[in-house]
Amino acid sequence: MHAVAEKAVVVFSWAMTIVLCLCVSIFLGYLLIHGLPSLGRDLIFGAADPLRVLLGRARVFDGLFPAIMGTLFLVILSASLAVPVGVCSGIYLAEYAGAGMKKFSGLLFDILAGIPSIVIGLFGFSLAVFLHNHLDNRFGPCLLISSLSLAVLVLPYIVRSTQTSLEELPDGIRRTAIALGANKLQNIAYVLIPNALSGISSGIILAIGRCAEDTAVILLTGVVAVAGVPSSLLSQYEALPFYIYYISNQYTNPGELSGGYGACLILLGVCAFLFMSAYGVKKHLSHRTLYRA
Amino acid sequence: MRFSSENIARNVFFLCTIAGAVVISSILLFMIALGLPLFKESSFFSVWTGPWDPYQGLYGILPMIIGTLWIALPATVLALPLSLGTAFVITILGGSRLRKILGVLVRFMTGIPTVVYGFVGIFLLVPLIREGFGGAGMCVLAASIVLAILISPTMILFFSDSLTSVNPVDVRAAKALGADRVQRLLYVILPKAFGGMTSGFILAMGRALGDTLIALMLAGNAIRAPRGVLEPARTLTAHIALVKAADFNSLEFRSIFACGIALYLFTTTAVVAVRFMDYKRSVVQ
Amino acid sequence: METKDKIIVKGVSFFYGRNRVLDNIHAIFSKHTITAITGPSGQGKSTLLGLFNRMWDDVPGARCTGEIRIRLGDRWVSPLKNDIPMPLLRRKVAMIFQEPNPLPMSIAGNMAFPLKLAGVRDKSIIEEKVQKALAQAFLWEEVKDRMEKSALDLSGGQKQRLCIARALVLEPEVLLCDEPTSSLDSKAAGIIEDFLVGLKTSCTLLVVSHYMDQMRRIADKVMALQEHGLSQI
Repeated sequence: MHAVAEKAVVVFSWAMTIVLCLCVSIFLGYLLIHGLPSLGRDLIFGAADPLRVLLGRARVFDGLFPAIMGTLFLVILSASLAVPVGVCSGIYLAEYAGAGMKKFSGLLFDILAGIPSIVIGLFGFSLAVFLHNHLDNRFGPCLLISSLSLAVLVLPYIVRSTQTSLEELPDGIRRTAIALGANKLQNIAYVLIPNALSGISSGIILAIGRCAEDTAVILLTGVVAVAGVPSSLLSQYEALPFYIYYISNQYTNPGELSGGYGACLILLGVCAFLFMSAYGVKKHLSHRTLYRA
Repeated sequence: MRFSSENIARNVFFLCTIAGAVVISSILLFMIALGLPLFKESSFFSVWTGPWDPYQGLYGILPMIIGTLWIALPATVLALPLSLGTAFVITILGGSRLRKILGVLVRFMTGIPTVVYGFVGIFLLVPLIREGFGGAGMCVLAASIVLAILISPTMILFFSDSLTSVNPVDVRAAKALGADRVQRLLYVILPKAFGGMTSGFILAMGRALGDTLIALMLAGNAIRAPRGVLEPARTLTAHIALVKAADFNSLEFRSIFACGIALYLFTTTAVVAVRFMDYKRSVVQ
Repeated sequence: METKDKIIVKGVSFFYGRNRVLDNIHAIFSKHTITAITGPSGQGKSTLLGLFNRMWDDVPGARCTGEIRIRLGDRWVSPLKNDIPMPLLRRKVAMIFQEPNPLPMSIAGNMAFPLKLAGVRDKSIIEEKVQKALAQAFLWEEVKDRMEKSALDLSGGQKQRLCIARALVLEPEVLLCDEPTSSLDSKAAGIIEDFLVGLKTSCTLLVVSHYMDQMRRIADKVMALQEHGLSQI
């Protein structure tokens, strides 16, 4: 009886692994077949001259360029908001906080990591409305609000990865500089941070990947189908993931659809590259930082 | 001088932590504050349990709660065997080369953007379902299948982590008694790893509950509680994404904050449950 | 008034949470001597060493009572009473660990590191002090051509000598050594013993050791830490 059950477990496991691999291969194969032909200069720049576009002398009306720039701006802005705050709180939690504070804020950041991204988008949207009504009516859903919300979204990754990679440092490294007369800040700046850098930077790379990939947050906070390259922090903008979403239910001709496949491939390439290099930088990256909607 | 710079740094670190904590609490406060008119207008319970009928002035989000469960539960149920089997192969059954390849594959999967999953789902899976089962194709089934694939890597990583972190001494003891690989897995490793695996399961389910794009793109978004897997449904998350365009002061618009609160509570419960289980496990050990 | 006492320990007890790790310790350590401290494991020898430079400061639940006085320069300081900033104390009361702990940087970087922490900027002073300390450790000739190479590529004995030399650039007056040779082979250990004996002219050394023969070779005084406290043998 047991022997049969044991055999069944083996068969079941292999079958499930094969199913999963099949799903991924079909997924990738389908995307490659439809997307590869569309990849090229036209996909990004349309009919415009790439050089003139990059110099800001021409606008792209039928290519992905504005969406790519929008996503780039988003990523840079949200990272520059989230990284300093996240790394600093990671340092505080690892090196200064008492046991009670650690437990409490650990729970808080876990909760933040678990909040669905659409809820964070809703928060950003309400914030924009609040600012519009109470501060200045130029405010509305815009690049700044989106970046702010995305920064909130990825904050827990950065906090957690900073905190864990500092806490994982062995005592030997921890007390070396102290015994040589370093004060706490010197120890952190000269010894602990450099030694924890791989963990911290993998957290940051993951966060950047999440910013590039997320659609739900920007959906509510200012992304639009046509806006051109964003001109200010308070303007609306285009973004790659939103373009994909938009094409999937608004496409009017096969050309637009194949542009959607091309955009999928580009976004997939960028995100897969970022995630894989995050794993490469630190082999045992805690996947606890990964779960979220 | 040196000591004051140390104090400044400490205060900066502390303020950043506080800022994070304030943001987390203010998300909930914002939603409660903005959803308040809805709770004043209709009774508190009818918001959660009532039907959705704007023409009658009814803004209950029950259909969306049911829709969320209809999509998230089958997705987790589908993902469970898939992840369990793959995790077994990754940790115990596979050869070292295959384990490595599968490990890379699973990590690669965590990097696939949700919106790309949705896109392929629309143009590959939806037509298949339409032809195979009839109907519009955009339904609970389509969303559940794609969602299952989306959350599998999370589950697999958690499962294999718990499986490999079982004390090797116990495993060796069983080995010395003549247990083969499968027996060691079933009778020694699995019982010990069960707690950690449950955590992974709950967190993956939280992810399924909170996902927006898959349901938005694939589930059809009809505001009606589905009665079968081939019917369209709208999740709480998709509801938030869709009502956006309406007038800010309407009750219809206010209902999305009720959805936000519900989602916040769902996922927070999951996180707290996992924490509690981890805590209990650490006490037992 | 000139005194030959360097460290005076009076009625010191150390608690870790509710555990009493050290109970009512009394001792006097003289200038320019090597005192070996031995005793069964788990009696708190490392903890005792850590009292003199307050290494337990960051350990939650650690508490110390009693009095310790250390003669630094021409004044007495009491580390337990916080009458000296901790970084300053640790520069003058240096510590060597069981495992060599070079930082993952170049040899030159490791050697200059404590001076950088202390705020020394002058390159020529740094170079001079580094060279002097490395020479004391019989290491200068071995590494002078590879100062910019990683310190992690040195052999075990060289690493430990580097770590001692690194502590010496600060010209400490007390050197606390926690089983400094136990991770090394006997030849490398021998070099370090000679090195430590040579340091008596500038420092007062406290060496925790398990090896009776080693203690006989290098120590002026051997003390045993047992349940009843610290006593000379």
